[in-house]
Amino acid sequence: MEHILSILIFFPAFAALIGFLVKDDSIRMYAILVTAIEFVLSIFLWINFDNSIAGMQFTEVIPMISAYGINYFVGIDGISLFLVIMTTFMTMISIIGLTEKRNLKHLIITVLFLEMTMVGVFLALDAIIFYLFWELSLVPMLYIVGAWGGNLRLYAAVKFFLYTFIGSLIMLVGMLYLGYVYFQTTGNWSFSILDWNMMLLPFDMQLWLFVAFFCGFAIKVPMFPFHTWLPYAHGQAPTIGSVILAAVLLKMGTYGFVRFSLPLFPDASVYFTYPMAALALIAIVYTAMVAYAQEDMKQVIAYSSVSHMGVIILGIFALNVEGIGGSIFLMISHGIVSGALFMLVGVIYDRRHTKMIKDFGGLASVMPKYATIFGIMLMASVGLPLTIGFVGEFLSLLGFFKVSPVLTLIAGLTIILGAVYMLVMYKKSFFGPVVHEENKKLKDVNGRELAALIPLVALVVILGIYPKPILEPVNKSVSQLVEVMQLKAIEPSTKAKILEYNSIGEVKHD
Amino acid sequence: MINIPPVSIEFASLNFGTIVPMLIAIVGALVILCVDLINKKLDKSLYIMLTVLFLLVDLGALIGYSGSVRGFFDLMLVDGIAILSQGVIVVASLLFVITAMSKLRFQEYRYPEYFALYLFMIAGFQFMVSSDSLILIFVGLETASMCLYTLIAMHNRNNALEAAIKYFTMGAVATGFFAFGSMIFYALTGTVELGQISEVLVASNFENYPIILLGVIFMLGALGFKLSLVPYHTWVADVYEGATAALAGFMSIVPKMAGFVVALRFFEIFISSGDIYVEIILYVTVVLTMTIPNLIALVQNDINRMLAYSSISNAGFAMAAILIGTTQATSAMFLYWILFLVTNLGGFTMLWLNRSKDYNSFSSDHALEKYSGLVKTAPITASMMGLFLLSLAGIPPFALFWGKMYLIGSAVNAGYVLLALIMVINSAIAGYYYLKPIIFMFLKDPIEGANTKYMTNATTPIKVLIGFAAIVTILSIFMIEPLIEIISYYVQISGY
Repeated sequence: MEHILSILIFFPAFAALIGFLVKDDSIRMYAILVTAIEFVLSIFLWINFDNSIAGMQFTEVIPMISAYGINYFVGIDGISLFLVIMTTFMTMISIIGLTEKRNLKHLIITVLFLEMTMVGVFLALDAIIFYLFWELSLVPMLYIVGAWGGNLRLYAAVKFFLYTFIGSLIMLVGMLYLGYVYFQTTGNWSFSILDWNMMLLPFDMQLWLFVAFFCGFAIKVPMFPFHTWLPYAHGQAPTIGSVILAAVLLKMGTYGFVRFSLPLFPDASVYFTYPMAALALIAIVYTAMVAYAQEDMKQVIAYSSVSHMGVIILGIFALNVEGIGGSIFLMISHGIVSGALFMLVGVIYDRRHTKMIKDFGGLASVMPKYATIFGIMLMASVGLPLTIGFVGEFLSLLGFFKVSPVLTLIAGLTIILGAVYMLVMYKKSFFGPVVHEENKKLKDVNGRELAALIPLVALVVILGIYPKPILEPVNKSVSQLVEVMQLKAIEPSTKAKILEYNSIGEVKHD
Repeated sequence: MINIPPVSIEFASLNFGTIVPMLIAIVGALVILCVDLINKKLDKSLYIMLTVLFLLVDLGALIGYSGSVRGFFDLMLVDGIAILSQGVIVVASLLFVITAMSKLRFQEYRYPEYFALYLFMIAGFQFMVSSDSLILIFVGLETASMCLYTLIAMHNRNNALEAAIKYFTMGAVATGFFAFGSMIFYALTGTVELGQISEVLVASNFENYPIILLGVIFMLGALGFKLSLVPYHTWVADVYEGATAALAGFMSIVPKMAGFVVALRFFEIFISSGDIYVEIILYVTVVLTMTIPNLIALVQNDINRMLAYSSISNAGFAMAAILIGTTQATSAMFLYWILFLVTNLGGFTMLWLNRSKDYNSFSSDHALEKYSGLVKTAPITASMMGLFLLSLAGIPPFALFWGKMYLIGSAVNAGYVLLALIMVINSAIAGYYYLKPIIFMFLKDPIEGANTKYMTNATTPIKVLIGFAAIVTILSIFMIEPLIEIISYYVQISGY
């Protein structure tokens, strides 16, 4: 049990290396097995996870560069547990649903390497190790988009790479500075997030450090106005790339806000609540409108992702247990739902080699099973009660209601606008007569696709009805996070704000 | 009548041990020449291995050195920095000389003089870093430079001659600058030893400041040429292109290491006394050196030229450490340069292996198009090149990332946050051009009918060399700790 986190991180990488020796026609089965083992390992972790502990579990420390306080330090708490499970699960599902035929072996090995970096990001507790995995994830993603993508793939891949690279380099300066501040206050070097949580930072230092970390995270999320790389990346990426990008990679950014920005800079977080909320609101409303105008199904979902990521940011900056817990739940549910939607678009793209809405129509009569699954996922994406999408969205908005009812109302538009663009897309492509001759003979989803999609549907429904197994451990760790914030806040007004946001019962206003 | 007292020197007082490493290199060169006199038909591999052997002995003498710091009438200064940088120089030369084991026959390697000159050059660099007397530095610098000009010119291509002449002419100007700068400082302080110059200047509270500044500018010109600082960098790309890729890789590491040590010793005088003007001059130079070549590299279509500009920019990075001036920064400079050595060794050697004698299909030896779709035709070659490029771009956990991190960290810690941000932005810009060859190799399709041959120049020793560089690049995270310990030990005992 002691090394389970390291095994979780490095197992896919080793499997990838060994994968070079597997023959091309067997590589799919190999990848399915590897990712399934990885998923089972993460479930095993969950079973052994002690729900009564709010702090880090299964921690492991190996000194790397002790002169500079850099350790290989991993651990897990309620916040990261389900993100890890979601990562391993979605990787497995995307491998099962994989339809790509070109250079399959390279693709699978790349995805396995990517899995290592994604799991690593969520498990790392040392800032430099976190940065290592964070930055390393760019390389396989660059290759996936650039080698298996559409016509504009090179542009999309380079844009994705450079955009996120610049942001994270600025974040690196912030991390190095924090390490230095820790050195000045204690006389020892440390890049451990837990150590950093012990230190109180002056207000103005918090402000600029917040901005430095913001550069890294906001581009990854992506927040408005740094979101422009995402539609390109999604539009050009192959299905598996889009699924992983939407499901996991975007969550790294929001996870970074929860893991770094909130506990390290509580005063700055309160100070920037409204600007962050404003950016999130613009993202929610603006990108929802943009999504409505799209003619490409994949772009609709890509923009809807940006919109939903706005809700997650809003939930995080509610700075209360409901909001943060809800947004973490939303990260997981958005991972599942958007991943499923991208996969569904992939299914139709495989058959017709087009993703344009105007090329379809009346699909429901040709492909009934496909239409049903699509419909369920769409409802979950819109946030229909009793689906997984509702819980997180509701909690995030509920959390932010305590901060500002008016802004929450605007954010609530996401549900309406989401329903509009999603249903319009659904109507145009699934209902009505079958206009195009080619569409009449389309085959419904086959066994393999069902094997990938059915678990997603099941999760969407089950967790929509009964989210408690996830919400409970999440909330436990989030409560501790909020306590840390309150303890660490150096301005009395910040403490009061956090207390107010976390008050139970009626909302007080000055 | 003036009675000149007879000179009487005790042999022991010379501290002969201080020059033993250089002597080994020189003896090695002479041995190679003598061997050639006896038998002219020997294979080049003998000379390469003799060079390796003598450099190994040279390294052994360095590592085992425990004699006094000063020697030879105080001309030699073998402090921690000197030992450390000599170590880097010798190890780098050792690794780069193995690249001469190429499969294709290039005419320069058929001359044993090539390897003799190589060893003379190493000795020159070793003298350069282990002295604080401007005259001995000058002698070392000139010895090394003269050899280097010749080495470039021995390559049998038109543009090699052009490169050598260009390098020589510009080098001559730099020599003049150095002599002028030294003269000014001698006139001001009556000594040519940097330590004493520093004492006199501080004692006189920097009297005659404009003239001192003039001297600084002359020295900056001289050192700037060696270190390829902007605006003295214009020769770099042409010379690198004219020289073989292996020699270009060598030039991007070893002469600069020597130059950095001299710059460190010289500018320390002003940095430690907090001289604002010199700091501003250095600051501007560093920022320009990092930025301008970076921007030029963006538009290069030849990987060799691109790497040339990138190594100018990297020299700017390392130079920033001298500007920052803390112990951590000095250690960071050495760490950076050692990791850069490993990465560049890999990068340039990969180019060297892919060198073919006819390159008519493309505009130049290492045109980007030549590498289109390499991953489909030669996956391991492509992966290796990709690895070194990612390391250069500073993607963790590959070697150069740790150097960048430590260097940027030292800038942040010393309060140079703006400089750190400029470094970061430059790293981001550099990310783009390092990505370009990766895109060509991994994401584009091979050009049909281009008849490109890769690895035509490969032999087992060079492949082993590349493998070594690759392993170090990948596993560098486990080597940083001992490296930092060794480096900071040597840096601290010499008081920087």
